[in-house]
Amino acid sequence: MTTMKIWKYFPREQLYECYQCARCTGSCPAMEVAPSYGPRETILRTLNLGHEKVVEDERIWLCCTCNVCEDRCPQKIPISALLVALRNSAARRGNIPSRLSMAIELLAKTGRSMIVHQLDEMRAHHGLGPLPPAPVDEIRAILMKTGLSDVVEF
Amino acid sequence: MEENVERAVREHSHNDLRIGVYVCHCGKNIGGTVRCHEVAQYAQELPGVILAKDSLYTCSEPGQEQIKADIREHGLNRVVVASCTPRLHEPTFRAACEAAGLNPYLLEMANIREHCSWVHLHDKDGATEKAKELVEMAVSRAAKLTPQVELSVPVTRKAMVIGGGVAGIQAALDMADAGYKVFLVEKTGSVGGRMAQIDKTFPTMDCSICILAPKMSEVGRHPNIELFTLSEVKEVSGHIGNFKVKILKKARYVTKECTGCGDCIHVCPQLSPDEFNAGLSIRHAIYIPFAQAVPSTLLIDMDQCLNNQGIVACDRCFQACSHKCIDFADKDQILELDVGTIVVATGVDVYDPTALTELGYGKFPNVITTLEFERLINAGGPSGGELIRPSDRERPRKVAFLQCIGSRSKRSNPYCSNVCCMNTIKDSLLIKEHWPDTEIFVFYIDIRAFGKGFEDLFQRARREGVTFVRGIPGEIIEDIDTGDLTLLGENTLMGSLYRYRMDMVILSVGIRPRHDAELIQRLFNLSTDTDGFFMEAHPKLRPVDTTTGGVFLAGTAEGPKDIKDSVTQASAAASRANILMSRGEVKVPAITSRIDIEKCTACGLCARVCPYHAIEGGKEKGYYQVIEAACQGCGACVPECRFGAIEQTHFTEEQIVAQIDAALAHEPGQKILAFACNWCSYAGADFAGVSRIQYPHNVRIIRTMCSARVSPQWIERAFIKGAGAVLVSGCHPSDCHYNNANQNTAKRVERYWRRMEKLGINKERLRLAWVSAAEGAQFARVIHEMEAGLRKQTHKQITEASEKLVAAAAKKSDVS
Repeated sequence: MTTMKIWKYFPREQLYECYQCARCTGSCPAMEVAPSYGPRETILRTLNLGHEKVVEDERIWLCCTCNVCEDRCPQKIPISALLVALRNSAARRGNIPSRLSMAIELLAKTGRSMIVHQLDEMRAHHGLGPLPPAPVDEIRAILMKTGLSDVVEF
Repeated sequence: MEENVERAVREHSHNDLRIGVYVCHCGKNIGGTVRCHEVAQYAQELPGVILAKDSLYTCSEPGQEQIKADIREHGLNRVVVASCTPRLHEPTFRAACEAAGLNPYLLEMANIREHCSWVHLHDKDGATEKAKELVEMAVSRAAKLTPQVELSVPVTRKAMVIGGGVAGIQAALDMADAGYKVFLVEKTGSVGGRMAQIDKTFPTMDCSICILAPKMSEVGRHPNIELFTLSEVKEVSGHIGNFKVKILKKARYVTKECTGCGDCIHVCPQLSPDEFNAGLSIRHAIYIPFAQAVPSTLLIDMDQCLNNQGIVACDRCFQACSHKCIDFADKDQILELDVGTIVVATGVDVYDPTALTELGYGKFPNVITTLEFERLINAGGPSGGELIRPSDRERPRKVAFLQCIGSRSKRSNPYCSNVCCMNTIKDSLLIKEHWPDTEIFVFYIDIRAFGKGFEDLFQRARREGVTFVRGIPGEIIEDIDTGDLTLLGENTLMGSLYRYRMDMVILSVGIRPRHDAELIQRLFNLSTDTDGFFMEAHPKLRPVDTTTGGVFLAGTAEGPKDIKDSVTQASAAASRANILMSRGEVKVPAITSRIDIEKCTACGLCARVCPYHAIEGGKEKGYYQVIEAACQGCGACVPECRFGAIEQTHFTEEQIVAQIDAALAHEPGQKILAFACNWCSYAGADFAGVSRIQYPHNVRIIRTMCSARVSPQWIERAFIKGAGAVLVSGCHPSDCHYNNANQNTAKRVERYWRRMEKLGINKERLRLAWVSAAEGAQFARVIHEMEAGLRKQTHKQITEASEKLVAAAAKKSDVS
């Protein structure tokens, strides 16, 4: 598994622009359900502990990349880009939550990220036909092309 | 005077050059990067140099004494100081020369700090080599210097102050008290400015209008002050000591006889938001700006009056006035005033937070700004001093202040507005004073309580029970039924999320340069910093001077500051202006242009480019002449003359060419020769140095007063000598220090590009760049880009271009 330079995807000097006003946290919907995560805190930890430490922490996977923090950030820091860069780096080091790697594996194998046979029963109940088969080959090709196959085996 | 001339002639007749070179270490500032001793040794070998020394601080008393002693002992007739920028210490060393009997114009400086050691911090060899060459350039120019005598011009003992806020008032009073006539020009209907709108001042909690009003009325009745309200500056001409200012005095429609009784107000049918109350109340079309207004006469807002079409459709106010003071026929007037000095105190605007939609200002009625709060809590305000919230006019029990709104942000103003922290603390105490049971929360990032008595006030607020929460809310949600507001955010010190329900939210808004600041900037040829505030001539040592002689700055127009600092600065500006006026004359630098009437063919091209109409003459007369007192020394006329009949004193063709030749003496193909104007680009390069912005060391800067002095012949000479690249840089168009003289620069460079194109020379080797005094980073960027272009050039291309230019010049001279 290859490591990657996260500063290629997130300009490092942007970290120094942050003065911890916490507008990002105040507007973060992920924090409403998972208060242990926080964009402000993620920036602070990246700054003070270094990204190598931060990518070991599962909390970076709680961000839903809705970009509201970026919209509110007075310093125009691309916070979502930081989270995406951190996750890419984490995944390449094997620090990917198992529920996520399972979902990817499922996606690669079935073309869907969840098991759907129960869904067919529900559809039948509403008078709908079974789901059409997912284009597995096409999806696999996309996953390979985006480099996801380097990170998760499927 | 005569004696001076005699001495000057005597010095000039010295045929043998005796140059002394002084290389300054400036402690570690230069010495830490440049090997100064080696530079001095190099200088020692240069033609005409009889002694070269390096010293720790040349500008110090012993350093200056050394120069004086050497002038006397060794009969030096030229002095070269290699140290900081001439914009800093040229006057110091000129004075030292003069004290030792040497004409001050025989001093030359090499800028080896701002343009060398500070911008090549990590390249000791490169910096040392560059320093040697900069000294060589300075020595070559020094050899061509001639003594000059400065002309004295009288200073009109009258001053103008623009802006009638507290800074303008203070400056006007100080100058008027010193005995000088002052014209105070104010745009609105009354003096007072922002301070008049504020309820109390920090940190003493003084009543703002109570301490301001006496000063306002003093301005109104001072025998030396003439007050122009509803007036704007329209045109400025002239120069230090002798300005002509045209002001537009708008019609007030109410005569001076008005007693301010106000009988007319209530009969007026027209209503409009009251600007003084930040739009929280309404006023009539005929109104008095506020109770303490000076002048206390009413005025008619003609935009709102029913008679704004030029016909009298309504005369109710006229009928109501027992003194018959209403005059619908009143007209705008243009007045022309002669003044010697000008103080610019135009103030600031308040940040409008509407753009920050997550806070709901303008959408949620109970979200207000601090300026609106000042009017709400003021006894003279719309609610008579009762704190009520706009939605239901109920007294709020829970109030939140949000700090840094519109400040310290790339989305609005990047700087700290300086006053909002203390203003909020003061406001919170005001609420506590009147309604102690009110719960107050201040949401902040940092509390900056840096001034005298500020920390005490902060602690007092905490003791009184104001809660300070670190972390600005990310969002405000309104309950539409109650108008209450919920603040969502994170307390960063607790590391926990919060959700506060508040009755009212006050946004502590920042301050920003006035929307019309650009107008003033153009009128007076001022520079602005990157934030848009007017720039001082030197941030530490000339903090109230501007780069335009005779124009001074006071108050927030120069940068965010509180009342005390505004008043301090106003007194400083007044004192600087008073010095000029009390002396009654000012020496103008001997850098004017002169026309050789023998060579002049009276074509008149020079007169056409002169931005000051300082060149007079004509075909009938047979020649043109420069009026020395009117010439500002930009030198724009010199390159315009095809017959070489014009010469600029102290920036002669011979002197600059000597600099060019010296700059290109070694490895010219590797060099970027840069011409930079004194006011913007040279200062911009200085600023790059002060900011320690690093750039390649192969650039050699030659200073001219204006970029319009740069002659195409210099560019030609540089390319013939094999210069890798040439940069011509000046102030941004319309920011030119010399009344748009730099439009000639653009024309001449474009013409030269066409010539390069015609001869098949890569025209990218000549670059035109506008760099302001605040754009150090921009200067460095231009050099980096040119350096990249330079690396693509081959030696062969450079030689070929040089040959082509020589051939073209030969052909041209054959034809003629």
